[in-house]
Amino acid sequence: MKADPSGTVSPGAAGAAGSPGAADAAVQQPPLPVKMVIAGGFGVGKTTTVASISEIEPLTTEAAITTVAAGVDDLSHTPEKTTTTVAMDFGCITLDPTLKLYLFGTPGQERFGFMWDDVVEGALGGLVIVDARRLDDCYAAVDYFENRDIPFAVALNAFDGKVEYELDEVRWALDVSDHVPVTVFDARERGSVRDTLLVVLELALERVERAQGRA
Amino acid sequence: MKVAGEEPVEGDGALDEDGGGRASAVRPFLLTAGRVAGTAGTSKGPPIPIETQVVATSGGLAALDSFASEHREIIAACRRPQSLAELAARLRLHLNVVRVLADDLRAQGRLRVYVPRANAAQDASVLRRVIDGLRTVPDSRGFLREG
Ligand SMILES: Nc1nc2c(ncn2[C@@H]2O[C@H](COP(=O)(O)OP(=O)(O)OP(=O)(O)O)[C@@H](O)[C@H]2O)c(=O)[nH]1
Ligand SMILES: [Mg+2]
Repeated sequence: MKADPSGTVSPGAAGAAGSPGAADAAVQQPPLPVKMVIAGGFGVGKTTTVASISEIEPLTTEAAITTVAAGVDDLSHTPEKTTTTVAMDFGCITLDPTLKLYLFGTPGQERFGFMWDDVVEGALGGLVIVDARRLDDCYAAVDYFENRDIPFAVALNAFDGKVEYELDEVRWALDVSDHVPVTVFDARERGSVRDTLLVVLELALERVERAQGRA
Repeated sequence: MKVAGEEPVEGDGALDEDGGGRASAVRPFLLTAGRVAGTAGTSKGPPIPIETQVVATSGGLAALDSFASEHREIIAACRRPQSLAELAARLRLHLNVVRVLADDLRAQGRLRVYVPRANAAQDASVLRRVIDGLRTVPDSRGFLREG
């Protein structure tokens, strides 16, 4: 690991475990941070999901998002962009001393196309949480991940252990591509959240490996 | 090597002196002299990622008392590595304010800012490490993943 004179360093280049080098022996080596995005409409269980698996109580911070006003479909019309400050909550899991996974829960909003660039840039993948009783709340998030080609899965939160729709019906209603996993999970169960995140990560890995195979 | 993140970061007493009140929304923007991260007037290029890790240098910690409140709080909070997002949340500052303040402190040698590689998401070895790490997380009842 090298430190440039400006004090900006890139961690994790070779696993981040290397010696701290000359600079400042007292400075602790941070882990390589990676992140995933937990998206979905209001009240679908984003915070619950983060809380189930995070090693810290979910924290809330304010981030700037750019919302694009409705009418984006109309190509003749330049969408109006507005920057809004939204509350976003997040948690983290130390996977090993050199690797820390952050989970950012981003708010959903109907009628707006979203640009969560601030949060999503560099994310390993996303999870779109869906409450099957209110499917249309998640279109914005689904579209966002699809358009940006970010690996994601749709996760139906089984409120009270019940899912009233078949997964196929949900897939059809959301019109997601065949390669997007649609699963049922329980936001309150750590194991269920873990396995759902793993579905996304395995998809992400598959894609990278396929891309490398082609290269 | 002493390792970051082994203990929950909450234990950092430095933050508890905060008094708990919500920081004034205006003052931090004055501190940043109206600069907002990621917009014209500061660094070119995209804003540094929210998961960027920030750590105080020993010089920064030694000079703690010479700093005004928000700067001091940031340095003190960074005794252990923190993400920008954690800093913003714990200090109740807007993320973009933290970006600017952290960058100022970095320029003064008080903080080290570890910008993650942009392509971690395309790195199969990183993805495998995350998958392997996550598989070892037990479920709510302490059971490991089947299979
Ligand atoms: N019964 C049941 N309740 C749940 C489940 N998941 C979440 N809840 C409850 O549903 C409510 C909303 O969950 P949150 O996790 O706060 O949802 P959110 O998506 O973060 O909500 P906003 O941030 O307000 O958009 C809370 O009262 C949760 O306790 C679930 O799987 N089953
Ligand atoms: Mg929430």
